[in-house]
Amino acid sequence: MLTGFSITGYSKKTEDLTSTEMKEEGIKKVLQRHRLSGNCNIVTFQLEFQILETQNKENLSSVITDLGIIMEPTEYSELSDFVSRAEERRDLFMFFRGLHFFVKWCEYRKRTFKHFKDKYPDMVHLPEGACSHCMVICSASRPGFELVIVWRIQINEEGKVLPKLDLLTKIPQRALKLDKNRVIENAPLSFRTLLGVLGIEAAVESLIVLCKDE
Amino acid sequence: MEQAKTVRQDGETKRGVLAHLEGLEAQMKRFCKSSEELQRAQAKESTPGNKIRELRHLRDKLRAEVKKRQARGDGSRASSANVESDPTVEMGEQEVLEKKQESIKAILQAYRFTGLSGKLTSRGVCVCISTAFEGNLLDSYFVDLVIQKPLRIHHHSIPVFIPLEKIAAKYLQTDIQHFLFSLCESLNAYSGRKYQADQLQNDFAAFLTGPLQRNSLCNLLSFTYKVDLMGQYSFCARLLYEDLTATLPTDITVTYQGTEALSASWEEQRASHEALFRTKPLHRVFASFAREEELDLSLAS
Repeated sequence: MLTGFSITGYSKKTEDLTSTEMKEEGIKKVLQRHRLSGNCNIVTFQLEFQILETQNKENLSSVITDLGIIMEPTEYSELSDFVSRAEERRDLFMFFRGLHFFVKWCEYRKRTFKHFKDKYPDMVHLPEGACSHCMVICSASRPGFELVIVWRIQINEEGKVLPKLDLLTKIPQRALKLDKNRVIENAPLSFRTLLGVLGIEAAVESLIVLCKDE
Repeated sequence: MEQAKTVRQDGETKRGVLAHLEGLEAQMKRFCKSSEELQRAQAKESTPGNKIRELRHLRDKLRAEVKKRQARGDGSRASSANVESDPTVEMGEQEVLEKKQESIKAILQAYRFTGLSGKLTSRGVCVCISTAFEGNLLDSYFVDLVIQKPLRIHHHSIPVFIPLEKIAAKYLQTDIQHFLFSLCESLNAYSGRKYQADQLQNDFAAFLTGPLQRNSLCNLLSFTYKVDLMGQYSFCARLLYEDLTATLPTDITVTYQGTEALSASWEEQRASHEALFRTKPLHRVFASFAREEELDLSLAS
């Protein structure tokens, strides 16, 4: 589908709420109850929402008066906060926009991690499998050293989807003691800067190359 | 078969035996050939017979079927379920198809609730982008795309101050979904900002001490307002929405319009207003002012 959404079921019920007084004043009120179900990639959604349409002499206003959303799978914890916010605000379109971008970022993360796993199978590990949100880099010649790239996909207050990447380091004590220039301490911050300069793929690649055996 | 055993040289005897064997072989071949021919002839002969039998069988079947249907047509209630099923199955199929068609039509209609829906045109596709803010359904816009290489926009209803060309240059040729959703973001944000500004002008005009100054993109607003309707202090607010995909301002300045220095409590209020404008939609901030005002009035009386 053009938008990436696939709607598998839809039904609608209409209720006329126009009272006799309203009719006299030329006002018409209709309540629509909608049920929608579908999916976006592997995420399925079920929505129930109500739209109140008020028609008076000048204009027609449509307001979403209630919104309930059920999503599967529920493992994406970042999504559940977003869903609650969308329900609270009754912002149907923000829900779909956010869902679209979230799924796109998840796909990109999966592809990127897989790319590195395929390219450097001995050095790269995905602790949670294909949909892992973190990637571990280690080298055989330097056991005890590990670089962990944590890639979270967050949805902010406005429904904007933003990737958030962090670097965690696991270094043996002896090595830490030798680190006079505090490279390890500054690594997370340096990684953020590197991301800004090189972009995600190049930044991660440069870290792997660093750990690679000559 | 008994060839004369000629008293000849070995070669001739051999020749004789060979000739005998050849003769036998030839006979066998002739025999096989003739028996094959016989079989074929027999087969040919039996086919018309078979056919006749088959046709008779079919005729009997059809006769039985006709009888069955006539019996049903009489309205006689047969005991077997099969007898009644045929016409009802036919009608049922029709109903099922119609229902399917209805549900598909409904589903196609339902796509507009995702904010993005499309209709095929002779040239390509016409995409409809719906906007809303906090549950209020607002304006819709359309983009008519021509499916060609390169993909191009035939015509559209996007306001001129929305960066359509910029978004198209970035995504239209490489990732059409991204193009549409990016446009969706910008349009929804614009719609939301416009809605807030309109609400302020319409519903909270009493709080404004001057006209609301706004640009067409609704990302720069400037106004003077009073919190306390009876009071003398009025503030001047300037809201800049640098992020065109956001409905909350990024840059807020609230200043005091007066010559005397602000008392500490008013300074506190000024600062708190800045925070309010940053975190809450414009009309909601004024709604809270209105509630406070009502509260003050009720307390005073």
